[in-house]
Amino acid sequence: MSKRQDPSGRSPSAPAKAFDEVRGEGPWPSAASRRDFLKLAGFSFAALALPGCGRAEEHRAIPFLDKPEAVTPGRASWFATMCSGCEAGCGILGKFRDGRPVKIEGNAQHPLSAGGVCAVGQAGVLSLYDAQRLGAPRAGGTETTWENVDAAIRERLAAVGAGGVRVLSGTRNGPTSEAAIREFLAAFSNGRHVSYDAVSSSALLDAHAALFGRRMLPHFRFERARVIASFDADFLGTWISPVEFTRGYRAGRSLADGGARFSRHYQFESRLSLTGCSADRRVAFAPGAHGAALSNLAVLLAKKAGRTRPWAPVDDAGVPGEALEDLADALWSAPRGETLVVCGTNRVDDQKVAAWINHLLGNYGDTQSVKTIDIQQPSRQRMGDDRALATLRREIADGKVAALITVGCNPVYDLPDGAGLVKDLEKVGLVVSCASHMDETASAAHYVCPDHHTLESWNDAEPLEGMVSVSQPLVRPLRKTRAFIESLAAWRGKPQSAYDQMRRVWKRSVFKRQADHASFDRFWNAAVHDGFASLAPQEGDLPRFHHDRVGPAKGPAAAGGDALSLVLYPKIAMGDGRHAHNPWLHELPDPVSKVAWDNYAALSPATAARLQVETGDVVVLEAGGRSLELPALVQPGQHASAVAVALGYGRVGTDRFHAVGPQWIEGEPTVEKGGQVGINAAAFLHVADGRLSYDTVRVAVRKTHRRHELARTQLYDSLHVPKHLAKPGEHARPIAQEATLDAWRNNPSAGGHAAHAFKELWPDDHKYTGHHWHMAIDLTACTGCSACVISCQAENNVPVVGKDETRRKRDMSWIRIDRYYDGDGEDVDVIHQPMLCQHCDNAPCESVCPVLATVHSSEGLNQQVYNRCVGTRYCSNNCPYKTRKFNWFSYAHDDTFQNMVLNPDVAVRSRGVMEKCSFCVQRIQEAKFEAKRLGRELADGDIRPACMQSCPADAIRFGDGNDKESLVARQRGDPRGYRVLAELDVRPSVTYLRRIRNRKEHAKGEVSHG
Amino acid sequence: MADLTTVRLPRLPGDLRDLPRTSPLRKPLVDGDKALTDVTNDIARPMEGRPTRLWYAGMAISSTMLIIGFAAIGYQVLTGIGTWGLNPTVGWAFDITNFVFWIGIGHAGTLISAVLFLFRQRWRTSVNRSAEAMTLFAVMCAALFPLIHMGRPWLAHWPLPLPNTRGSLWVNWRSPLLWDVFAITTYFIISATFWYIGLLPDFATLRDRFKGLKKRIFGILSFGWTGSSRTWMRYELVYLLLAGLATPLVFSVHTIVSFDFATSVIPGWHTTIFPPYFVAGAIFSGLSMVLTLMLIARKVMRLEDYITRRHVESMCKLIIGTGGIVALAYMTEFFIALYSGNPYERFTFMNRAMGPFAWAYWIMVICNIVTPQLFWSRKLRTNLLVVFIASLFINLGMWFERFTIIVTSLHRDYLPSSWADYTPTSIELLTLMGSFGLFFTLFLVFCRFLPVIAISEVKGVLRYGRSEAPTPKKEVTP
Repeated sequence: MSKRQDPSGRSPSAPAKAFDEVRGEGPWPSAASRRDFLKLAGFSFAALALPGCGRAEEHRAIPFLDKPEAVTPGRASWFATMCSGCEAGCGILGKFRDGRPVKIEGNAQHPLSAGGVCAVGQAGVLSLYDAQRLGAPRAGGTETTWENVDAAIRERLAAVGAGGVRVLSGTRNGPTSEAAIREFLAAFSNGRHVSYDAVSSSALLDAHAALFGRRMLPHFRFERARVIASFDADFLGTWISPVEFTRGYRAGRSLADGGARFSRHYQFESRLSLTGCSADRRVAFAPGAHGAALSNLAVLLAKKAGRTRPWAPVDDAGVPGEALEDLADALWSAPRGETLVVCGTNRVDDQKVAAWINHLLGNYGDTQSVKTIDIQQPSRQRMGDDRALATLRREIADGKVAALITVGCNPVYDLPDGAGLVKDLEKVGLVVSCASHMDETASAAHYVCPDHHTLESWNDAEPLEGMVSVSQPLVRPLRKTRAFIESLAAWRGKPQSAYDQMRRVWKRSVFKRQADHASFDRFWNAAVHDGFASLAPQEGDLPRFHHDRVGPAKGPAAAGGDALSLVLYPKIAMGDGRHAHNPWLHELPDPVSKVAWDNYAALSPATAARLQVETGDVVVLEAGGRSLELPALVQPGQHASAVAVALGYGRVGTDRFHAVGPQWIEGEPTVEKGGQVGINAAAFLHVADGRLSYDTVRVAVRKTHRRHELARTQLYDSLHVPKHLAKPGEHARPIAQEATLDAWRNNPSAGGHAAHAFKELWPDDHKYTGHHWHMAIDLTACTGCSACVISCQAENNVPVVGKDETRRKRDMSWIRIDRYYDGDGEDVDVIHQPMLCQHCDNAPCESVCPVLATVHSSEGLNQQVYNRCVGTRYCSNNCPYKTRKFNWFSYAHDDTFQNMVLNPDVAVRSRGVMEKCSFCVQRIQEAKFEAKRLGRELADGDIRPACMQSCPADAIRFGDGNDKESLVARQRGDPRGYRVLAELDVRPSVTYLRRIRNRKEHAKGEVSHG
Repeated sequence: MADLTTVRLPRLPGDLRDLPRTSPLRKPLVDGDKALTDVTNDIARPMEGRPTRLWYAGMAISSTMLIIGFAAIGYQVLTGIGTWGLNPTVGWAFDITNFVFWIGIGHAGTLISAVLFLFRQRWRTSVNRSAEAMTLFAVMCAALFPLIHMGRPWLAHWPLPLPNTRGSLWVNWRSPLLWDVFAITTYFIISATFWYIGLLPDFATLRDRFKGLKKRIFGILSFGWTGSSRTWMRYELVYLLLAGLATPLVFSVHTIVSFDFATSVIPGWHTTIFPPYFVAGAIFSGLSMVLTLMLIARKVMRLEDYITRRHVESMCKLIIGTGGIVALAYMTEFFIALYSGNPYERFTFMNRAMGPFAWAYWIMVICNIVTPQLFWSRKLRTNLLVVFIASLFINLGMWFERFTIIVTSLHRDYLPSSWADYTPTSIELLTLMGSFGLFFTLFLVFCRFLPVIAISEVKGVLRYGRSEAPTPKKEVTP
């Protein structure tokens, strides 16, 4: 049985009387299929593998005496599976409750993600219940049956002859899918599998192919690095494997032992990325200057190493000389092998120089060493090959492709010349898309054969060589979709279920690579239970580095004068656009810009001033005869010559969000009918040297006189009040505090703000003799990635309110990421601060409610009683943190299919009531019941609120403050800890731990008085 | 009603006849050398004939405003409070601004009817009836806003301590909003009672004039008033007691309203000066609203002889006084904010004067501090057009005072991340308009069907029948 033990050690099949009453229908009538899949939800493998079982109509509640296997009403089970939000292959646990998956959380045992899941991964559960996901195969745009489609496709494939058959996919690294594609293509004389990544890292692989003789993506180990230099690699946000890297980065910045292993992080970039926000030293440079900067860094390091100069330094105005020297000193003074230089561009020359530097610094090593780049077990999280893609594109244009099957990618949208591709696809005899929506490519395909959602299907992935992740279904397919590998098997005439295929491939190839289990079944069961299998690393020498294949990277000429270059990048929530049907992700404000529901042209303050553009003005970007109209955003920290635009927007079908949010006379639709959310910027991608290039197109920016108000959730960006309203020399508000590492070493409470000591007037009032729940948030660990925001949204049934409501600052998230800039122009310090209800022991909200709808619990929780609330909003006015959210309208829960994602443990709030963070009281109660059932005391760590559970950086701690041994009690006593607005004597239960920056100079935001 | 001159009345404390005889140099309180019958005839006239065209015009405008405003409220109740321009940071704006504004307007009625009564200000007789009516209508307008500002207005009875079957579920006695509920209800009940008691002799007069249905209605309303000495004795005793009871309310209601803000933690709200500041502001705004209404009513109802320049002047003087207190409060508040060393408080006030809502702040300062200074000049305060315009400015300024306190304090509070803007929606503007529609409709109905001036009291201040009274010269009214 693949059912997984919950991390708290409870067995899911045990009866839980406490929750028996939580049975019956949910608050809304659900779709008829709600009970249908319950029957098989018990996960007998065979049942799942059988396609096409008839569906009995059932409208009964789950009978308790004669219940389906492993379904206990009101009781959740957890199953280990794999995240498919991107190719990073994080391990997740799916929460299965009353017959349906309702939540995704991190798998703490997983070697890569170790319990973290990003925002995109968390939102995956909503996509499962997407009513617009294709429910049946389509031929020529009309729905049909699988038999018809299979017959037609087989017939056409039989006629291919010597014509080219191409499978075009995103990165597919699972042994089973690789085998399935291989077996499928083997039937054709001219078959080939081409993969690409919409946000490509092809050059990184190609550079290693050139230098090491093996095309691989090295496995970066940020936890081992003492000095990190990133050239435009947003490794905490979107680059390759952000959850894994965040966890590693966090581990490498420990304040234990006086911060002896606290890494120093340099970030050179042209836009302000999430990673740049965390950097100890951040340098804004012109787009395209990476090559020159890296080449000069190499020269500086070669000099220190006593080597001959590899090449002449590049003389380029865009390269910050002093910063590079500082970086070279830091890199060279760190122990060899314990530094890391990463480069995010897609230019082979840049990547080669970065690799050369890493090699010079001795960073390449094997899995067991302390070295920061593992090439013994390289990563397979990006396998796309841009040049193969370019070749395929030429073949399609030349009519040399007879059949094209696309899966896990959307080339018509992703590639620069989408319209041209659609035209060229007419020359292909058979185009099959396995997309789950009628996306841009599916619309151009002859047949659409929708793939399962990951929570419905068997699958595997090998994100790291020797680390295989397993994806198991949590639910029978909700619609008539079919796993891609089953489709391939059907088309080659040997239909086999995905489960059987996977078992077959694993028995044949994966089982052999491990040594822990003697029998295959045991190995298989362990792998399915754990969600992954670790295989023995390959023996043998590491590939050799070829020095002679590196030359200086010049990159494109840096923009001079007022010339502007376009930087295309993936946004945290939207990535390459594949999740454009997910409203949670659209409404997640970008942690840097705080804009939701749109992409925009980000301009530096200097450039915006020069063009007389303000945030919200519509600007026209023009390059190479193409033009785009986008709202502008003034983005501090960005280089003056950069114009940054997010990819992933402007997807076909996003006008489905037209009616998201309340409809009223002054309400504006989230998107016009027939329109799209955001603008597709892929037209400005271009292919240089056979690879997709993201940052070098010269653009002209022209202001129009139209406005497009962006939906920003934070309108004021600084902890300093506006200058003309400030007292001369006024300090920043001590809300998000920080200190330098050295200052902290000298004085652990450095950066603090002396708060008044209050005399307790009623010391005997509210003694909290039992538990007293506290939270601690470490601002040094928090990167602002926003995983907690979506986790909270999924756990607590937080509604989506649409663009207009977000614009009115009525977003409903219970936890938000506050972002403050210090400084302006290109050089800004950024600090992120998660802000949620502080559960004040002396709560100002409680005393003002006329009807006692918000009250204090005996365990220190500030509780909101929804059905008592009359909605005066006085509590929100009187909340100094403004963390209360009001239901201004009846926020729609009328998509009954989507409502299946609602957490049955949390009430859905009606119109006119206040709501806010509850510290996940349902989890507190569940853990208490569980401890009681097992007859033991509640242990520290038993309760993990949703935000804490999924935090990749482990920045959030929760526990009993009365338990002096608990982690949270210790953190509360840490001299680095402070409570926001403690001077109001509201006595918050949330402690923040000051942000520590590893830099020599005084941190700008540090409050020096005290 | 029997002719007063033939009735010997017992002398009670507060009897107007106990007042010192007026100096012959004083101008009379009522012009036109009225006889007692003239008074009754003049005041009953609007109730007897057809209303004037001006009345119809006013009614058309105000009832249209009322209907549109209530349609907006209906839409808001059906759709959601989100149809107002609020957000989590600015949780109150037009709603509570209007509430405090209307409550403030209501203050002048009680002040004139009760406080001035106790202070023997005889000029109050011409204006007290309509000022009291104005109080009631203003409190009704005010009470509307806390009801409709709720997220779930259909549960508006929950803040009342009603017995229920939910065990110990009770209201929160610590909440200033609950105090508001009691303060306003008490105020409304006392004011209504006071108003009604004052109407009794006049109801009887009207009963005696009318025939048929009107006679029966006024007969019931007059509670069988006989005009006997005993009736008058009890009437005047009750009136005096009620005046004594109502006087503290002038101070308590707005004090408690100010607690909504003063007991909170929000900089700009959390201020100990608020109770006196609010009371002075309320009287200030109420007097200016009385002026506005009086000047309209005397024209529309042709009561120029009863509401004279002397009345207007007296009220202008009161406005100068209360306006001075308000100005002092503004300065004190600002000084303390700058002097306190509390950076949040200091910023809030800097932001009021120079931030995004500075325009509202300066409207408030100019209207409330500069306008009353005009009344130092006798020439200006007897020019009724100037007074009328000035009273409108003060009304406007006092509305913006509440807007400034509520919105500018909220929109820039502690965490800069939660700073927000506020723009009213059409629904809010229409709702404000609707409250004015309600107010003026009620007032016009009142003018049409009830005596706008206390007939019996005015008769008491006439010089008619007083031996020492020289025949006054008829004053020309504009």
